[in-house]
Amino acid sequence: MGRSWWVRFGVVVLAVIWSTIYVIPTVGRLDLEKTNFPFKQKINLGLDLQGGLYMVLGVDFNKVFKDVVLRQGASLVSELKDEGITIKSSGVVTQSVSSAVETASAVVGADAAQDPLYFVEFDAAKRDAVYDLMKKRFWTLRLAGESEGRFELGLSREYRLETREKTIGQSIEVIRNRIDEFGVSEPVIASQGADRIVVELPGVKDVNRAKDLIGRTAKLEFKIVNDEGMEAGKVRELVAQAENEKGISYKEGDKFSNYVRAINEALVGKIPVDSEIAFDRLDGRVAAESGETGVYIPYLLFSKAELTGEELEDAQVSFDQENRTPIVSFQMNPRGADLFDRVTGEHIQDRMAIVLDGIVHSAPVIQSRISGGRGQITLGAGNSERQMAEAKDLAIVLRAGALPAQLDFLEQRVTGPSLGQDSIRKGAMASLVGSLLVFAFILFYYRLSGAIAVLSLVLNVMFVLACLVGLEATLTLPGIAGIALTVGIAVDSNVVIYERIREELRAGRGAASSVEAGFQKAFRTILDANVTNAAAAIVLMMYGTGPIKGFAVTMLIGIVTTLFTAVFVCKVMFDAYLKRLEKNPSAALSI
Amino acid sequence: MFEIIKSGTQFDFVRRRHLFAGVSLALVLLTFVLFFTKGLNYGIDFTGGAEVQLHVPTTWDIGKLRSELETGGVPSAKVQQIGLPEESQYLVRAQGDDQSLSRVSQTIEAVLSKTLKEGEFEILRTSVVGPAAGESLRTSGFLSMLYALVCILIYVTVRFDARYSPGAVLALFHDTVITMGVFILTQKPFDLQILAAILALIGYSNNDTIIVYDRVRETLLLNPKLSIEESVNRAINETLGRTILTSMTTFLTVLALWAFGGKVIEDFAFTLMVGIIVGTYSSMFIASSVVIWMTHYYARKEASASAKAGGSVGSAVV
Repeated sequence: MGRSWWVRFGVVVLAVIWSTIYVIPTVGRLDLEKTNFPFKQKINLGLDLQGGLYMVLGVDFNKVFKDVVLRQGASLVSELKDEGITIKSSGVVTQSVSSAVETASAVVGADAAQDPLYFVEFDAAKRDAVYDLMKKRFWTLRLAGESEGRFELGLSREYRLETREKTIGQSIEVIRNRIDEFGVSEPVIASQGADRIVVELPGVKDVNRAKDLIGRTAKLEFKIVNDEGMEAGKVRELVAQAENEKGISYKEGDKFSNYVRAINEALVGKIPVDSEIAFDRLDGRVAAESGETGVYIPYLLFSKAELTGEELEDAQVSFDQENRTPIVSFQMNPRGADLFDRVTGEHIQDRMAIVLDGIVHSAPVIQSRISGGRGQITLGAGNSERQMAEAKDLAIVLRAGALPAQLDFLEQRVTGPSLGQDSIRKGAMASLVGSLLVFAFILFYYRLSGAIAVLSLVLNVMFVLACLVGLEATLTLPGIAGIALTVGIAVDSNVVIYERIREELRAGRGAASSVEAGFQKAFRTILDANVTNAAAAIVLMMYGTGPIKGFAVTMLIGIVTTLFTAVFVCKVMFDAYLKRLEKNPSAALSI
Repeated sequence: MFEIIKSGTQFDFVRRRHLFAGVSLALVLLTFVLFFTKGLNYGIDFTGGAEVQLHVPTTWDIGKLRSELETGGVPSAKVQQIGLPEESQYLVRAQGDDQSLSRVSQTIEAVLSKTLKEGEFEILRTSVVGPAAGESLRTSGFLSMLYALVCILIYVTVRFDARYSPGAVLALFHDTVITMGVFILTQKPFDLQILAAILALIGYSNNDTIIVYDRVRETLLLNPKLSIEESVNRAINETLGRTILTSMTTFLTVLALWAFGGKVIEDFAFTLMVGIIVGTYSSMFIASSVVIWMTHYYARKEASASAKAGGSVGSAVV
């Protein structure tokens, strides 16, 4: 044996040792906590194999943009007032009356709902002053439309982008905090595209609770009830009227927020501009988006939130002094406490509504100035067990903070643990049967050379598994299929080489030179064929998520290991075989 | 030496190429007609909806489950038994709006626990896809097939030349379309997994094509006087053993996956099985036929170009 052979042989041996170490904890099902085995890493199983919850959440940006433009517009108005410019009226544009200036083309693919506008009406003579101040201090806004004494403002492109990024980032952060409280090992929370968030919770048991915890916005607001603007009876009347006239009704299964929005839209002009209608649902309060009907009481609230959940420092479950039912008590941070102190001082004898995700939870009358920033939220009716669970989850979401936007479930995939186990068993079984069939066939067809091919295939599978462990890639059920397929396709490389060798032999060459020529001529073909395979796998990897991505990853790894085993490892084995053949001149190459 | 195809075999594949092209064209056209008349049975991944795989006691039959779900208010559910009868597993497909779909597994759980005790039934798997998500998955899915084809077109053009690439891509297009045609015929649900399998097939089938192409190029290089028809025919014959062997081994593994892999990847394996057959056929009969046509096309173009160039050069000299 030449020196170069020993070097190549050494490489193969190292690869085998390395992959054996990597594969042992997985294949031997070692308990990583207890084992003495030095290498402590197992193959990552996908959610479809170990069970768990996979979700894609969509962020409702329309609402976010509307809130943001409202805030920016309001602060522009207040700065204008500071400058002594009188503002006749302002608010969100429901119907544009101005001619377009900077059209929504600044915003790619925007329609009215995606590009909410804010209008300010002022003395036409002050037009330039208003314009200058806006341009100077509000890069966040753009002048979307203008008419005599009226500006319609939209968000600037840069600020939209920033808002988008910030919203996604914050949402991920909040979800992570909530899940941490929930206790899931190795959750994955990541953004996908411009407006999506992917959440993977392996092995989670109580899927429904996890979903409720993640999906809930948990936006806590304190708003003053506008009792002066309209008395309660009149509000109820208006709502009933709107329901009858516009045919708005709340059906089981709908989003309650859609109903509230429809009512508010129907009542534009009938209620004060600075106010809105919100409801107290006497049951199922906490599950604001759940599909339950019941009695609900309308309130007329000032739209402006005096205080929000952002000022919350802590929230805990405690018990009501009188009837011993669970409640959630909270503590505000110093800034929040100051604000609360001021607001309650200004609004003595008014009612303050505690609004969670748009639902009024209670609206007590402020008897006196409240200092210290403590408060409590009462929960809906129901048995005490359910109340307790609600209270716990509410405390968690309040502590973790509100989501900056409403999230919609776009995709949910749940795999139960027993199906995962079953899939592993069946997948492994199928791969084994498939491989054995291929092995038998190759042995029968190529004899001793077939044995070399089989050995290289076995090593190939081991290398694929070791790479999966080493790269911390995820093995999914389609991934297992990918490994089986790798065996099927890897054989191709062997076949291409062997058929070449046979051709050379037929052409009358000797064993050694036939093998040499066979490997050499086949190499380019094999490379070309595998590159196109890889191209398809890469596209698949970019497109696919979850299980399918797992398939693409194993295919890709399989392509690399196939090149290594079919071309390099096989050649080393062939060279050894040829050497032995030389000692026995009567024997022919078994191929 | 055991050989499936005896060396020196010379089937005349090329002579019949018009016949094969005709058959393939007819199949592709038929698929298009079916696509617009019968249509693919899109799975919930692409249409939105819910799919729940569950297990109930063997004493329940499908009718019992169906009526229980109906009275329990599971929105427009279709129930289908899967796997072996003794496993007593069912697949429930439901349609509805976002909110009711999102709670479909809770609803089913509530329905079943009315009559069954805990442990007597199990929800094995739930997939819920919102309608909007389904649509975007479908769009990006078809786009990804297009990207894969374009990638391969570029690669083959670079590695071979423009005479070869149209054939490779046409063959892949042919494979993709016909495999989808089988799905239209069988009305098996076409979902993300199937799309993934088709993408894998694009890679696999092209693999076959490349190997034939490589041999065509080599034959032409070694025997410059040979006609393109002759070279292609020789190349196909020389790689025939390899083509059949590889297709067979791959088919065997996929067959095992189909038979033993369980319900979750059954259709995935089925797609690969169809695709391997179609792909092997197209590499031998479609891709290489196109090379012949393209070679003649370029030869004609060159001839007319050089005729023109000759004329102008002549006049320049004068």
